[in-house]
Amino acid sequence: MVSKMKISLPNHSAMKYSLLLLLLVALIVSCTTERDEPLQRFPFDGTGYRPIYSTEENLAKIETIGAQPLAKPGKIYLLDNYLFINESGQGIHIIDNADPKNPKNLSFISIPGNYDIAAKGSFLYADNLSNLLVFNISDPKSPKLAKTIPNAIPVNNYPPFNNVYFECVESKKGIVTGWEKVPMSEMPKCSR
Amino acid sequence: MKRFAPIIFICLTLIGLFLLLTGCEDGRTDSALNPQSGTGGSMARFAITGTTLYIVSKQTLEVYDIADGANPVKATDKNMSVGIETIFPYKDNLYIGASDGMYIFNNTNPKNPQLLSKFQHIQSCDPVVVRDKYAYVTLRSGVTCRPQNSLSSLDVIDISNPVDPKMVHTQRMSSPYGLAVSGNKLFVCEGSLGLTLLDITNPALPVFKQTFGDLPAYDVIARDKHLIVTGEKGLFQFKYDDADNVELLSKIPVL
Repeated sequence: MVSKMKISLPNHSAMKYSLLLLLLVALIVSCTTERDEPLQRFPFDGTGYRPIYSTEENLAKIETIGAQPLAKPGKIYLLDNYLFINESGQGIHIIDNADPKNPKNLSFISIPGNYDIAAKGSFLYADNLSNLLVFNISDPKSPKLAKTIPNAIPVNNYPPFNNVYFECVESKKGIVTGWEKVPMSEMPKCSR
Repeated sequence: MKRFAPIIFICLTLIGLFLLLTGCEDGRTDSALNPQSGTGGSMARFAITGTTLYIVSKQTLEVYDIADGANPVKATDKNMSVGIETIFPYKDNLYIGASDGMYIFNNTNPKNPQLLSKFQHIQSCDPVVVRDKYAYVTLRSGVTCRPQNSLSSLDVIDISNPVDPKMVHTQRMSSPYGLAVSGNKLFVCEGSLGLTLLDITNPALPVFKQTFGDLPAYDVIARDKHLIVTGEKGLFQFKYDDADNVELLSKIPVL
């Protein structure tokens, strides 16, 4: 298209510029139409993500309890003889792994909105949604909350997936701690 | 517009020069292969090297000084303007899996990491592991940050020049999650489909060995011939040898 225009381009400079301008406009328009997305960017399959809400009070409920069975194990972290296993959105299992043939489930720290862990020396770091927690684990059977740094970790108000529909977050309902995929009769307004 | 062109060129040249210089610095420094005190899986958003705690979340890399372990102090944050999912420290660099590619930061100055490069060829916010000259990245279709019609894959990226990473190999995977590299082995978690073992005797060309289908796998740590795997059935530990023998040590099943 470009080469054709060049061939038919008359020598008159005003004409040349107006044609160039036209070409520019055409280019810009073609860009915007490409970027313009239809109302339904991808098909709605009758399912969507619903936010799981919690209250500030519930989020602050952090406690060490006795060993718990694994239910939905997530990320793992190994420090010396100890193994830390995240229980998705629930907290951390602490395992004595000195003998990998016979690991001992020692204790569980219940932390709402926990997915990530790292440890060094006698300290364990964990997320509690947007808060960063520090535990003293010098006694791994009974870890102690040493510090809470509020709002240290920015969090998203949408599910961690692309090309999905989800119920828009309403902050008055509480704080979003997770997302569940559920059947939905109507297409939710929010998508990503 | 024409007037700005030289300024833009000068800026680009300066950035390039800066990247080159920092790249050279990286080559000179000698440090432990695994700079972490403990070991996280490749799905981690938290990582510790020395006295620094790195957290990737939403769109930033948060950097905390943990010289006083009980008392993290924020050192800096790096806004990346894209979604970030994973961080993997290796030698003097941080490899960050983000929604629009893999970012490499130099952390020779741990409290103030510097962006070296961004590998945009891939679209991913899936995990990265690194060994020697190569980064292994899994890309899972459908979820996270991949376009809907893309396929899941395992990509091998030559990072011998961290300023200019290059893809050298890609292969189809079924549903990759975390991965781990150790010796001549690459382990890839494939969710409910199991754990896949690949041979990387030629590190640029992983060769499929087998998938342990009865071992649903989400995150994995491989260290000193010792394999730790979590998945929907629980925690499994194995020992393995160079001859691809894998022996179950123990399990803590999901109840």
